[in-house]
Amino acid sequence: MGLVALLVTLLLAGCGSASWRRRNAGSVGPTSNRQDPALSGNGQLLASLVSRGERDTVILQEQRSGRLLPLPQLQRLEPHRSPSLSWNGRYLALVGQQGDRRLVVILDRARGQLHRIPLPGDVELERLSLAPDGQRLAVGLLSHGRPALQLIDLSGLLEADRPGGLTSVGGGVP
Amino acid sequence: MNRSLGKALGPWALVMALLSGCSGGMPRPMRDLDALLLQAGPSQAPALAGPWLALIGHRHNRDQVQLLDLNQRHPVPLPGLNRPDAQPLSVSVDSSGQRLAVVRQREGRTELVLYRRELMGLEPIAMAPPGVPRRVALRADGRELAVEVSRNGEWQVDLIAVP
Repeated sequence: MGLVALLVTLLLAGCGSASWRRRNAGSVGPTSNRQDPALSGNGQLLASLVSRGERDTVILQEQRSGRLLPLPQLQRLEPHRSPSLSWNGRYLALVGQQGDRRLVVILDRARGQLHRIPLPGDVELERLSLAPDGQRLAVGLLSHGRPALQLIDLSGLLEADRPGGLTSVGGGVP
Repeated sequence: MNRSLGKALGPWALVMALLSGCSGGMPRPMRDLDALLLQAGPSQAPALAGPWLALIGHRHNRDQVQLLDLNQRHPVPLPGLNRPDAQPLSVSVDSSGQRLAVVRQREGRTELVLYRRELMGLEPIAMAPPGVPRRVALRADGRELAVEVSRNGEWQVDLIAVP
C-alpha cells in the first residue's frame, strides 16, 4: 500500500512539473533584455521594461500578435519603472521621472489622457501596483530610508476597467 | 519612524483632501488603511488584485509575505508559505486571493513558487531553460504568470500558464 501511494505521488509530481506550459516573451528590437513584466487582467497585453540607451522604457505588447503598441504620452518621463496594467489594459500605471523627481503616472489609453498622481515630495517612490479595476493604487516608497506603503483611492478619477468592460479605443490603442 | 512618515504624509493628505473637495475627481489617500499598514511596520513590494493586497512585510525580524483583505481590513493567514529560512523578494496575487506567486531565496537559491491558499500548498516552478527568477506578476484571473528571469547575463520574461 505504501509503495502504491509512493508511486502515485511520484506520478502526480511528474505530471505537475510537466503541466507548466511556458513560453518566452521574446526579444524586442536590438536588445533582448526585458524586465519588470506586468500582464493585463485578461492576459491580452504584456507591459515590460527595455533599456534604450541608458534609460529603461516601458513597452506594451499584444500577446496574440506580438505587436508593440505606441505610448507617446510616456516619452520624456523615462526612466520608467514598475509598470502595472488594469483588467483590459485600459490603464497603464508606472513610476516615471521628470527632472530629478520620480512621479506616479497613469495613462488612460482609451482617452489618451495622462494622469499625474501627486505624492509628497520627501518620499522616494519605489514600486506601484494598480488594482485590476483601476480603482485603487498601492505605492511602495521610502520615507527617511524606511520602506512603507501608501494606498490611494482612484474611484473619483478613473472609470472602472472591469472584465468584459470598456475596451480601449484611441490614444495609441489597437 | 512611523511618526515621521505620518508627518511627511500629513500635509499631502490635507492637500489631496482639499483638492478632492474642490473637483470631486482627485485621487484620495486611504488614510484608515494607511494607518493600519503603518502600525504593522515596514512593508514593500505591493501587489493589488480585487480586495486583496499582497506585500512583503518586515515582522519579527524577518521579511514575510502577507495578504490583507482590504474590505475586512485584516491580514489573512498563509499557513505553510513563510519559512524562517526563506527570504521573499517579489509577490503577486490573483483577484480571487487564492493564488500567490512568490520569488524567494532559500538555501542560497532563488526560486519561484505558487501558493494555493485553499490547499495551503506550495508548488515550485522550475525555470526552463535554467535561470534565476527575480520579479513575478500573476495575471488577475490567475491563469498565467509573467516572471523576469536572468539567463546568460540577460534579463528575459517568461510567461507560464497556471494549471
